[in-house]
Amino acid sequence: MGTAIVVIVLVLIVSAAIRSIIKARKNGQHPACGGDCNHCGGGCH
Amino acid sequence: MGIRIALAGNPNCGKTTLFNALTGSNQFVGNWPGVTVEYKEGKYKGEKEVTIVDLPGIYSLSPYTLEEVVSRNYLIDERPDAIINVIDGTNLERNLYLTTQIMEVGIPVVVAINMMDVVEKNGDKINTGKLSEEIGVPVVEISALKNKGLSDIVNKAIDAAKEAKPQAPKHRFNGSVEHAFAHIEELCLHDIADENLQRWYSIKLFERDEKVQEKLGLSQEVISHIEKDIQSCEQELDDDAESIITGERYNYIGTIIGDCVKKAAVGLSSSDKIDRVLTNRWLALPIFALVMWLVYYISVTTVGTWATDWANDGVFGDGWHLFAIGSADYNDAAEEFAANQIIVDGYDVYVEENGTEPTGDFEYPVEDEETLEVTYETASLEDYEAAKAYVESNEEPDPANYGVWVPGVPVLVGNLLESLNVNEIVSGLILDGIVAGVGAVLGFVPQIFVLFIFLAFLESCGYMARVAFIMDRIFRRFGLSGKSFIPMLIGTGCGIPGIMASRTIESDRDRKMTIMTTTFIPCGAKLPFIAMVAGAIFGGASWVAPSAYFLGIFAIIVSGVMLKKTKLFAGDPAPFVMELPAYHWPTLGNVLRSMWERGWSFIKKAGTIILLSTIVVWFTTFFGFTADGFRMLAEDEIDMSILASIGKAFAWIFIPLGFGHWEATVASITGLVAKENIVGTLGIIYSASGDVYGAMNAAFTAASGFAFLAFNLLCAPCFAAMGAIKREMNSAKWFWTAIGYQCGFAWVIGLISYQVGKVFTGEGFTVGTIFGIAAICILIYGIFRKDKYKAN
Repeated sequence: MGTAIVVIVLVLIVSAAIRSIIKARKNGQHPACGGDCNHCGGGCH
Repeated sequence: MGIRIALAGNPNCGKTTLFNALTGSNQFVGNWPGVTVEYKEGKYKGEKEVTIVDLPGIYSLSPYTLEEVVSRNYLIDERPDAIINVIDGTNLERNLYLTTQIMEVGIPVVVAINMMDVVEKNGDKINTGKLSEEIGVPVVEISALKNKGLSDIVNKAIDAAKEAKPQAPKHRFNGSVEHAFAHIEELCLHDIADENLQRWYSIKLFERDEKVQEKLGLSQEVISHIEKDIQSCEQELDDDAESIITGERYNYIGTIIGDCVKKAAVGLSSSDKIDRVLTNRWLALPIFALVMWLVYYISVTTVGTWATDWANDGVFGDGWHLFAIGSADYNDAAEEFAANQIIVDGYDVYVEENGTEPTGDFEYPVEDEETLEVTYETASLEDYEAAKAYVESNEEPDPANYGVWVPGVPVLVGNLLESLNVNEIVSGLILDGIVAGVGAVLGFVPQIFVLFIFLAFLESCGYMARVAFIMDRIFRRFGLSGKSFIPMLIGTGCGIPGIMASRTIESDRDRKMTIMTTTFIPCGAKLPFIAMVAGAIFGGASWVAPSAYFLGIFAIIVSGVMLKKTKLFAGDPAPFVMELPAYHWPTLGNVLRSMWERGWSFIKKAGTIILLSTIVVWFTTFFGFTADGFRMLAEDEIDMSILASIGKAFAWIFIPLGFGHWEATVASITGLVAKENIVGTLGIIYSASGDVYGAMNAAFTAASGFAFLAFNLLCAPCFAAMGAIKREMNSAKWFWTAIGYQCGFAWVIGLISYQVGKVFTGEGFTVGTIFGIAAICILIYGIFRKDKYKAN
C-alpha cells in the first residue's frame, strides 16, 4: 500500500515536471537553458 | 482597443530599466550594447490596455546595425500609438540626434530625460521647458532607477496616443535639401498608404537608403530621377547627401543645446578619476584578474562554501544544528569518540589478521574521510585499554543531545519511506536517485546566489563595461574585436543569450567565431561542477574556481588568434564603439532581482530536467545485465550497470586525458543535457560508496581532475545552447564545425592539462607527456604562425 502511494506521488511529480517542460517549450523556452528566459529572446526554439 | 507605447533611445540610456519599472518585468539590464537585441512587450502596471514596448538601443534610424534594423522596422511597420524617446540627460547632444529622426516618422512623441540626478550632480542645468518649446514635444524629467516622473511620462504618452496627432518635426533642412525632398515626395511618395511617413521616406531616399528603395519597390527609372535631385543638391552644398543630413541635424541640435543647456565648469568627474586607475594601460588587467579572483574566491571558496557545506552536509546530508548551536561541542565529542573507536577497531583488525593479540605496540589502519587514503598509525596497549574503557563507558554522541537537531532531507525521506514500508526499488530510486542527484545539484544553490550577486553588482556599477573596453585593447592586438567580449560577459549567466548577443557583430566571420567560442566562459550551470571538483579533488583550493574563468578567457583568445589565421575567419576585426557609463552604486533591488532571476532558473531546472535526468541516471546505474539476467544491482555491482556499459564504450576517448573511467565518461555525456547533470550523475554514482567527495578524490589525481574540469568546461555546451548555436549559425555545416571545434579544443586542453600537469604533480614523465608537449607546440604554432591572409 505504502509503495503504491509513493509511486503515485512520484508519477504525479514526474508528470508535473514533464508538463512544465512541455509548457515552457510551447512558450518558447528551453528546459535545459540555465539562463533567465526573459532576456534570452528564444535562442533555443 | 489597446494603446502601444514604444520606448526608443540610445543604447544604455535606461530604456530597459524604465521598461521594468513601468511593467514590473524583470528584463535583463546591462550597460553595454547588445543587451536588448529583440524588442520586448509588457503591460503597463495598473492599466492592462497599455502595452509598453522596449526597443533595442540605437543611435540612428539608418540600418547600420541589427538593433537599428529591429527598432526602425518596428517604428515604421508596426506603427505604435506613441513613442517615449528616452534621452540620457548627461549626453544630450548625441541623444537628440536620434530624437530629430524619431520625430520624422509621424508618430506622437514625448521625450523623457533620464538620469537627471546625475546631471544635477555634475552641476549641469537643462531647461526642459525651453527644450520642449524648441523641439515641439512634451519633455519630462525622469529617473528610471529611482522611479521618479514615470507616471507623468506615461500619462503624457497615453494622452498623445489618444490625441493621435502625428508628430510634425519642427526642424527644417536647408532650402535646397527641402526642395529635393519635395521633388522626391512628388515623384514617388504621394501614393503611399501612410502619408505621415512621407517626410521620413523622402529623407531616407535622399540618403540613398537601399532598404527603403527596396521596400517602396521603386523602379530603376524613379531611382535615377531621384539620384539627379540628390546630385544637384550635393553639388550645390559641396558634400555627400548623408553628410549633409547629419551635419544639418547637428547644427540644429547645437542651437538647441546653446539655448537649453548650461554646463558646469569642465573637470574630471569621479568616474574619470576611477577610470584613470581601473582602465590604466598597465593596471587594468591585473585589477580585472584580482577582481575576478576575489569574486570566485568569495563565491566558491569562502562564503559560498560555508553556505554550500551547510546545504550539502546539512539540508541534503544527515542534518544540522539549528543556528549551529551545539555543533562545536557535538563535533568535539564525535571526534573524540571516533578516535577511540578507531583504536579499538584497529586492535580487532590486528587480532583478526594475526590470529593473536598484540604483546606491545600495534599498527592500525586509518582511512581519511575526504581522500579515502588509508594510512597506518601505532597505538600502545595502554592506549587500547584507555580507548576501550572510553568506548564502553560512553555511547556514540547523538547530535540531538547537543542542540536542536534538524534532520536532513535524505533522513526525513528515508524515515518516511521506511514507515510506509516502501518497496526497496522505489526507495532506491527516491533516495539514491532523486534525492542524491537533485540534492547534489541544489546543494550548490548558495554558491550560485553569491556568485550572481557579485556579477550583478559588477555589471550594474559599470565595471563590466570597462572590462569590455579593456579586453578590446587586448583582443585587438590579437586581431579580434572587443565586440566578441560582450557575448562572453552575457554568457557568464547563460551561454544562450551570450550566443544570441553575437548577432550585433556585423562581420559574419567574426560573428561565427564568437558563437563558436562564447560558451568557453563558465556559465552559471557549470559553477556547481567547478565547485565540486575544487572541493572533492583539490581540497577546496582557492585557485581552482578562478582558474576555470581564466581558462575560458584563455580559450577564447587562443581560439580567436588561431582561427583568425585560417581562411574561414580571416579579415580585419570589426570596429567596436561603446559608451562607458558613469560609475554608480546599483540599487539593492536591482542587484537582488538579477541574482534571484538567474538563481531561480537554476532551481527551476533542478525540479524539471535535472529531476528527470536523475531518474534515468539512477535506473541505468542500478540496473544491468548480469550472469543472472537483467536485474537491480547491489551497490558494489554497479560496474555491470547499463550506464557503466555506455561509459566503458566511450571511456577510451578520455584515457589520454587521465579520466578514462566510465564514471567520468558518463558524467561528461549527461552534462550535454544540462551541465548540472555532471554533479547529479557523479552524486548518484559515487553515493554508492557512501562518500561522494572521498570516492571522487580516490578516482582522480590532481592532473586528471584538472583535465576533467578543463574538458567539461570547454567541450560542447548543453543541448539548449547547441540549439542556439544551430539557429544562429543557420547552417548544419557550421553547426557541426562549431561543435567539433569545441570538443576537439577541449580534448587538446584536457590532454595538456593531464599529460604535462602530471609532471608537476609528481606523477612523473611518461610517453604521454611527449604528446602533451607536442600539443602545446601545435597551439604555439597556431598562435604565432604567419598570417598569410592578413594582407588581403
